[in-house]
Amino acid sequence: MKTVLHRLSPFAIALARMLVQATGIVVVVFLLARLVPGDAVDVKGLEGDLTAAQQVALRHELGLDRSVPEQLVAWSWRALKGDFGDSIRFGRPVSGMLGTALPTTLLFAALSFALGLGLALALAVGAVTTGNRVLRELVNLFSVWSIALPTFCVGVIGILVFSVWLGWLPVLGSMNLPVIIIGIDSAGVIVKPLHEELREAATSAHVRTARAKGLAPWRIALRHLLPTAVPVMLALSGLVLTSLVAGTLTMEVLFGLPGVGSLLLNAIHGRDYPVIQAAILVIAVALVVINAATDLLHRLIDPRMTS
Amino acid sequence: MSLALPSEVGGAVRRGLSPRTVIAALVLAAIIALALAAPLITPFDPLDQDLLALNQPPGAEHWLGTDHMGRDVFSRLVMGARTTLVVGFGGALVAFILGAGLGLVALSFGRAAETAMFALIDLVRAMPDVLLALLLIVALGAGAQPVMIALGIAFAPFFAYVARATFHREAVKDYVTAARLFGGGRLHVLRLHIAPNLVGGLITQAAILLPRCVVTESVLSFLGLGSSPDQPTWGRMVADASHYIETSPHAILAPVLAIVALTLSLSMIGDAVRRRLDPLRAADEAAL
Repeated sequence: MKTVLHRLSPFAIALARMLVQATGIVVVVFLLARLVPGDAVDVKGLEGDLTAAQQVALRHELGLDRSVPEQLVAWSWRALKGDFGDSIRFGRPVSGMLGTALPTTLLFAALSFALGLGLALALAVGAVTTGNRVLRELVNLFSVWSIALPTFCVGVIGILVFSVWLGWLPVLGSMNLPVIIIGIDSAGVIVKPLHEELREAATSAHVRTARAKGLAPWRIALRHLLPTAVPVMLALSGLVLTSLVAGTLTMEVLFGLPGVGSLLLNAIHGRDYPVIQAAILVIAVALVVINAATDLLHRLIDPRMTS
Repeated sequence: MSLALPSEVGGAVRRGLSPRTVIAALVLAAIIALALAAPLITPFDPLDQDLLALNQPPGAEHWLGTDHMGRDVFSRLVMGARTTLVVGFGGALVAFILGAGLGLVALSFGRAAETAMFALIDLVRAMPDVLLALLLIVALGAGAQPVMIALGIAFAPFFAYVARATFHREAVKDYVTAARLFGGGRLHVLRLHIAPNLVGGLITQAAILLPRCVVTESVLSFLGLGSSPDQPTWGRMVADASHYIETSPHAILAPVLAIVALTLSLSMIGDAVRRRLDPLRAADEAAL
């Protein structure tokens, strides 16, 4: 019984931390959106001619005349049920708009994430097992790439080369190029720490023994290095997620992909506050949940984390 | 790890500037010089529209051509360097002051204050920096100043973490214990004995974060959330020109290459600063 509790408590802590973070984000998003001068009724009032009495009535109907904590609780309760209100510009429910935009973003992010982790893992393990100079330089190159090259600049050059000059890809709507760009960018975020960690693992006794037994390098890589690499990668994947958000936003705008990023930016330019709040909330909470999930996975597969 | 560096590794670390760092420093100096001299060297007003010369390729009159509204690309590039540098560097400075300041204040007030402050900072860190900056800009309104503040708040946690880590590393050392045994108060020890050791780490962090600040600024202005439309920035120039990429690639290539040159040289200089101020770690890397 005690051992079960002992193994479960880190999960409870991870879950509790996730809930606290998610709650914090809800409060921050709500309060920052309240800092904006003028409310939804003012925005509407500027467009049409609402009389003062109509404005008061509308404010009452939307609950804008109540205290801020009251509004926060009501808003979070409705958001929890998936009701983010209606878009000011289009009059449609925000949840529906998010629903149509989410699949594009999820597919894009999942593909880039998988490509990034795969690339980083292959490169780091390859560089450590073979000691190849080219692979080692690639590790450095990817790392510099992700620090110094904004993804939208790479995207522009990619469009120029592959779509305008070579004519291989359509300029808009294609997901191939942006996934490759963000994949390389994500790989660059973690490949250097991963490589360093693996280099240290490669000097450990069990790898030395494997080498002394005369095992093939690929076998050492798969059976003896990969098991140490995967937990490290999971621990680093949070960093990838952060850079993935910026990448997804810019790529969706640049390549005309109809995802949450495009929705959010259009909303910002049109001052469509319910959509802005909902989109930022969904992205931020999704990140917290994914981070908690990878944290749990890390604890599950790495026994050192629970002992 | 032993405290003394092996002599040959120490020599390798202090070998002086690598050619890469020198080139990076020269590129950065050139960009800063252009930005400072901007009003003197711009051949045209960066906002002047010449509607008879839209999307002109580079030539004798317009060195880098004109954009879709007939504005001189070279003049906009040079004036844009000012905004990009001021906002990017300003954001890093705000982050430095805010992060190091709040971190140190919390640390000097003791355990409870530290826990509370860093719980708050962790909360801010739970949101990715671009998303947080975006939300702050929505709340504060677009413009150079809000973007600087947004960048500052988004990147401040890194400095606070460095301050805390160094503080705890130093606080257990013998010289701090000795200073306390001599009757030094908490604040006295922090100011006189621990603070000098914080400087190196904080400057290293600033050097690492500077390119990220500049990149984030250019991303934000590319998304149309940077400074106001009458202030040219490199990110905004890329966004404007992206609709005409097929007909006039020069208008987009110029700002893209400028951003890449700036961020690349900044990150190389950052790397050099880190190697110089963090010799133990650099020696570690060289030995492996």
